[in-house]
Amino acid sequence: MDVEARKVIEMGYGGSERLTMNMGPQHPSAHGVFRAILTLEGETVVGVDAVIGYLHRCHEKLGESLTYTQYPSIASKTDYVAAMTSELAYVRAAELVGKVDVPKRAQYLRVIVAELQRIASHCLWLGTWCLDMGGALGGGATVFLYCIRERETVLDVFEALTGARLLYGLHQVGGVRYDVPAGWDAQVRRTIDTIDQRISEYEDMLESNAFFLARTQGVGVISRELAQEVGISGPLIRGSGVSYDVRRAEPYSSYEDFDFKVPVEPEGDCFSRYRVRMVEFRESIKIVRQALDGLPAGPISSRPGVKSVGQVRIPKGEAYARVEGARGEVGCYLIADGSAKPYRMKWRGASFSNLSVLPHIIPGHKVADVVAIMGSVDPVFGEVDR
Amino acid sequence: MRKELGQSFWGDLGDLCSAVGRAMRVTLINLFRKPVTVHYPDVKRTYPDRFRGVLALTYDKETGEENCIGCRLCEYICPPQVIKVEMLKAEKRNFAKTFTLELYACEFCELCVQVCPTDAIIMMKSFDVATRDRRELLLDKDRLHQLGLTFEPSWATGNGLRDMQTPPRAPKAEGDHAKAGGARE
Amino acid sequence: MPEPVYHAITAFIVLNVVIGIVTYVTLLERKFAARMQSRIGPYRVGPHGLLQPIADALKLMMKEDVIPATADRAVYNLAPIVFLIPCMLIFATMPFAPGLGVADLNIGILFFLAVSAMEIVGLFMGGWGSNNKYALLSAMRAVNQIISYDLPFIFAALVPVVLAGSLKLSDIAAAQAGLWFVFYPVIGQLAFIAFIVATLAAENRVPFDILEAESELVAGFRVEYSGMKFALIQLGEYAHMLATSFLGALLFLGAWSGPGPAWLGPVWFLIKAMFVFLLVTWVRWSFVRIRVDQILAISWKLLLPATLVLLMLTAFWVTLGGAAGA
Repeated sequence: MDVEARKVIEMGYGGSERLTMNMGPQHPSAHGVFRAILTLEGETVVGVDAVIGYLHRCHEKLGESLTYTQYPSIASKTDYVAAMTSELAYVRAAELVGKVDVPKRAQYLRVIVAELQRIASHCLWLGTWCLDMGGALGGGATVFLYCIRERETVLDVFEALTGARLLYGLHQVGGVRYDVPAGWDAQVRRTIDTIDQRISEYEDMLESNAFFLARTQGVGVISRELAQEVGISGPLIRGSGVSYDVRRAEPYSSYEDFDFKVPVEPEGDCFSRYRVRMVEFRESIKIVRQALDGLPAGPISSRPGVKSVGQVRIPKGEAYARVEGARGEVGCYLIADGSAKPYRMKWRGASFSNLSVLPHIIPGHKVADVVAIMGSVDPVFGEVDR
Repeated sequence: MRKELGQSFWGDLGDLCSAVGRAMRVTLINLFRKPVTVHYPDVKRTYPDRFRGVLALTYDKETGEENCIGCRLCEYICPPQVIKVEMLKAEKRNFAKTFTLELYACEFCELCVQVCPTDAIIMMKSFDVATRDRRELLLDKDRLHQLGLTFEPSWATGNGLRDMQTPPRAPKAEGDHAKAGGARE
Repeated sequence: MPEPVYHAITAFIVLNVVIGIVTYVTLLERKFAARMQSRIGPYRVGPHGLLQPIADALKLMMKEDVIPATADRAVYNLAPIVFLIPCMLIFATMPFAPGLGVADLNIGILFFLAVSAMEIVGLFMGGWGSNNKYALLSAMRAVNQIISYDLPFIFAALVPVVLAGSLKLSDIAAAQAGLWFVFYPVIGQLAFIAFIVATLAAENRVPFDILEAESELVAGFRVEYSGMKFALIQLGEYAHMLATSFLGALLFLGAWSGPGPAWLGPVWFLIKAMFVFLLVTWVRWSFVRIRVDQILAISWKLLLPATLVLLMLTAFWVTLGGAAGA
């Protein structure tokens, strides 16, 4: 299939009544700083021009200037909504190049926090998506506040483990930095039990709602071929019928020990992506329970605690490590040269690749659908612009 | 569930009514739940032991001397380079002549706490240093010591963190079992 | 005292009381919505937030009035006033108790429905005069939506008129002394539900608030207004909302009838109007919005035929001698 870079469809008046509207970088539903130049005919969008780069903070250069001990704390800032998975990608890349072993307990802890982070990130996704669709003064705000209420309980769990709520710095080369405090196991179980029950409430509230179905069914259809050509990943590609999950394709950090389902929906519209993420909630809860039950005793790092900035040195080599983030495949390509800093570090941002599908699926829809589609793509601009 | 809309008038109408009822029931239930609001600053929530609050310098518990030996390890590891230290050499041990920390640029990553060999710099269980003038957040050594005395310290100290992360040594003799990891405080 | 002076004084009192109630209704909505969202609403300004509306009013009065350079001055400046006047005028025909009202016209409800539909002129003037694509898009959607929903609104409001046999609002209220119209089998409840849905749409409330759509159009036609002009628009919107709540209470919930002495009538009326208002607010805070083409589809394909059929059924029922006439 020949995929053009930018699609502008012709309809109706042959271009005489076209209006160029800017959904600017400052916009209540742009999910961050994102500029979409929409070409409208009446209410229908006929062309989309996406402009990014408003949040560029030179992460890849920072990766060359900071050492392996310093950068994991910074890595959280790429995908700041799902910080644990971003750190994991970098640390895994360093471990792959340096052939560093990670003890089993650290691997299980990494799995627990990654899945909890997925739950928290999906809570935020659901809240902001409904906020965009329903209005800041309206039902959207209600669902948003409920989801944030649940997310706060997960952040409380992270705060008990690391001391921070959003940007953690938990991972380090060789393992993790913090071990579980007393009572954490019970706290996590309580949290996920509550979330399990509340998610059923929200599913019930939304899924049988004809308004919600009318807004999401048939909107923003990504066909299976388009999904594979453009290179999207995560819930977007699983919502289009392709069963691809990095945790199954290339298991890392003991994911092969756990029994979980990878949800796939064939239709490819916003509703199927919604269903995929809702099932992922439940599967993540299942994984956390299994990991907590099977958490082995042992050290949490194979390298001694960091005492100086240049302590970790990775010998020459290069590797690409990828993890299944909440938004898709987050990858980190690292070229090490034997010193304490990488020679080159490149991030593959999941949202960056996911955004490239927008010019293909938005034309033909109404303006109101643009926000629904953006919300179901769920970009985080820290990952896009790095 | 996926549902085709527009199929039958009465079916759709019935679905719409039941959907409306269900959504409104959820909001009504939440109307009678207790609000989750915490009336900060009159009421503060309990912070966990490892909370990463503002940074502070400490004194030795027994001798009352400053713990900081001016080794500058924290300065080197700080990712945004907000710490600046000058060493003062003395006979028995070194001190820090000046120690500035730019709290407005600090990332609160706790790496400086982790590397400190003498547990001099720690984080507190509070962040109540809000001010109208950013210059008040350029903490000098006196202010850092004062913060150390004002707030409650968090659990994390350099040695504590390093002990938690270091894998246990292999047992030297048969009967000498290494300390297993497990749940640590 | 001479009639005109009496009416002038009553009108002045009603206007001020209405503005006072409207400002506090905003606080009621905020606290109610907050409780549904597991939080408390305004709390710090005054005890439990009771001075919040006053603080908001003072703030809006002190704000700078920014006029876009390329805006159409006359249209832009007049729009809030043209929007506000119909919303205030409809309170004139509302009887708050038997004999207590500014002007209890013989065609009371007709006046109400006709004048309340005139706010669309002010709305469109605001969207056009702002010289802003977002505002224009919103104004175009608004014209579409409000005009489509005025018809079901009128038909739903006509059901009590047919049941009572008179267009005069106080007669309709008096005809419910025995049984409130909402309790009439089937047609009462259906008419009430249709009235609520049409009110939501005519008021641009979620799920029909595509025209303000904060997440897409950032306040719609109001986006370029600040300061006192914005305050006038907000006042107009909430006054219209309150007026339709009063109308709903009058048409369906029996206005001032309630246990207790006769002077308690206006208090009951207020309570019932607040009930209708809270019902609308409850719906507002529970749903996501739907697209404009879906809104229009609901109006023309669902609500209009349904209310027409309902009106015909009511007429049949009354002819067959089933209602209390006035």
